[in-house]
Amino acid sequence: MILKKIFIIIAILFFGKITAQQDATKVYKKRVLETSEVDFLTSYYAQDGDNASVTGGIGNEHLTDFASSIIVSLPLNADDVLTINAGFSAYSSASSSNGNPFDATGASGDGEDDDDDDDDDDKGRTVAPGDITGSPWVASSGASKSDVWATINADYSHTSDDRNFTWNANASFSAEYDYTSVGFGGGILKQFNQKNTTLGLSAKVYLDTWNPIYPTELKSFEEVNGNLNQGFFNGITILDQNGNASANWSPVTGFDLIQDKSRNTYSASLSFSQILSENAQISFFIDVVNQQGWLANPLQRVYFGDVDNYYIGNANSIKNYTSSNNTDVFQLADDIERLPSSRIKTPIGMRFNYYINETFVVRTYYRYYFDDWGLASHTASIELPIKISDKFTFYPSYRYYTQTAADYFASYEEHLSTDAFYTSDYDLSEYSSNQFGLGFSYTDIFAKAHIGKFGLKSVDLKFYKYDRNSTFSSSIITAGFKFVMD
Amino acid sequence: MIKKVLALIGISLFASSCVVVKDYEKININDPDMLLAQKKADKYETIFQVYREGASGANGGKSGGGCGCN
Repeated sequence: MILKKIFIIIAILFFGKITAQQDATKVYKKRVLETSEVDFLTSYYAQDGDNASVTGGIGNEHLTDFASSIIVSLPLNADDVLTINAGFSAYSSASSSNGNPFDATGASGDGEDDDDDDDDDDKGRTVAPGDITGSPWVASSGASKSDVWATINADYSHTSDDRNFTWNANASFSAEYDYTSVGFGGGILKQFNQKNTTLGLSAKVYLDTWNPIYPTELKSFEEVNGNLNQGFFNGITILDQNGNASANWSPVTGFDLIQDKSRNTYSASLSFSQILSENAQISFFIDVVNQQGWLANPLQRVYFGDVDNYYIGNANSIKNYTSSNNTDVFQLADDIERLPSSRIKTPIGMRFNYYINETFVVRTYYRYYFDDWGLASHTASIELPIKISDKFTFYPSYRYYTQTAADYFASYEEHLSTDAFYTSDYDLSEYSSNQFGLGFSYTDIFAKAHIGKFGLKSVDLKFYKYDRNSTFSSSIITAGFKFVMD
Repeated sequence: MIKKVLALIGISLFASSCVVVKDYEKININDPDMLLAQKKADKYETIFQVYREGASGANGGKSGGGCGCN
C-alpha cells in the first residue's frame, strides 16, 4: 500500500515536471526562423575551349548561361519552416548547336529537327545540297543551340522543442528540352554535447528521363534505314578522307535509338560537425551515390581511329579538319558516346573554419572523390573573408581541382570501334584546374533599406575565373540579395 | 581513405569529450563566415562545377541527378 502511494507520488511529480517543462518551453522557445526571408540569386556564366564533346572532343566549346532563382523561407510556426526555391537557367552553346552542324547552311531547313519526331530532316531546305557545309568550330543555328532549364524545389523542416533535433523532407522538379527530373528526399540532424556536435543523415532520389536529341546525321541515318539517297542525305555528297564522293559511310553500330531513357540517382549522405574551440570548427561529409540508366549524353559524338572517315562540306578543308581555321567541312559521326548503365560515386569531404580575429576568418575545404568508372579527384579550396567594416566584407578565394580520366575516355580518333564503352567528353578527361575568386558583401543587420514590407539585409557579389591546364576556361559572376520581412 | 576519414571522425568525437564550448562562448563560432556549409550566394558556382567536372558531392550541393550533367 505504501509502495503504491510512492509510485503515485513519483508519477505525479514526473508528470508535473514534464508539464512544467513543456509550459516553460512554450514560453521561452525561440523561433527557428524569426521572420520570412527572400533571397534573389542571379548569375552570368561564360566558357570557351577547343574540346567540344558534341563534336567528338574537338571544336568550339563557347557557352553562355544566364540564371536566376528566388528562395523564399517561411516560418510556419516556432518549429516549422517551409522553403520554396524556384529558378531558371538559359544557355546558348556553340557545342550543343552542332547537334545539327549543317543548320547554318540550312541543311535541315527550319532547324527544328534534332528531336525524336519522325518528320524528314530535309524539310524546308533553303540551299542546294551541294552547298551544305558545317564545322565543329562554327556555331550552328539549330534548335539545340539554346535551352532553358527550369526548376522548383520545396523543403519542409521541423525542429524539436529543445532545438537539438531537426527533420526535413523535400521534393523537386526540373525540366529542360531534352531532360526531365523528379526528386524527393529527406534527412535528420541531431545535435549533442551542448550543441558542440552535430550528426546529419540524409537521402535523396532523382527519377530522371531523357528526351534524347541525337547528332543529326545519326538520327537521319536511322530514319531512312541507312539509305543515303533518302531524307536528309538526298542530294548531299558525302566525302571520304581524300575528298572523293563516297557512299560507304555508316555508323559503326548501325545506330538504334535509345530504348532505356531513364537516369535514376540514389544518394545517401552522412555529415558530422564538431566545435573544436571558441574559434574553430570542423565538419566531415561522405556521400554514396548510385546512378542507373542512360548515363551518357546521346548528343555527344565519338570518332574511332580504326574506321574510315567521311565528311560533308568542302573537300579542300578536310586536311585542316582539326584546326579552328576549318569553317566548312564536318565529319560524320561513327557513334554517340556509350557509357555503362551504372555508376557508384563516393565523395568524401571536410571543412575547417577558423576565426582569427574580428577582421579575418579562414574557410577551408577538401574533398576526395572516386567512382567505379576509374575517375578520382582531389579538390581543395580556401577563402579568407576580410571584414573591412561592420557592413562590408571582402572575399578572396582560391580553389584547386584535379582529376584522373575515366576509364572510358579517349580523345578524338583515339577510341577503337571494338571498345564496349567510349566517350570523348573532356569533362571526364585527366586535367587540373585553378579557380580564383573575388567577392564582396554588404550586410545591414537592421535591414533599413526597404522594398515594401521587406528590408534588404545583405548583398553578395562574387566573381570567379576558372582555368584548366588545357584550352578550357570559364568565368562566372553571381549576385545575391537577401530580404527579410519586417 | 574511408578508414582515414572514420579515424578523423573518431578523433574529433574523442576530442569533443574534452572540449565543450558553452553557448555564451560561441560568439565567434556563430559568425556568418564560420558557417560549415556553402552560402546561398555560392549556389551557381557549385552548379557550374557539377556540370563541368567529373567529381561532385560532399559539399551540400548535388552529387548527381536532376540534370544532364556528369
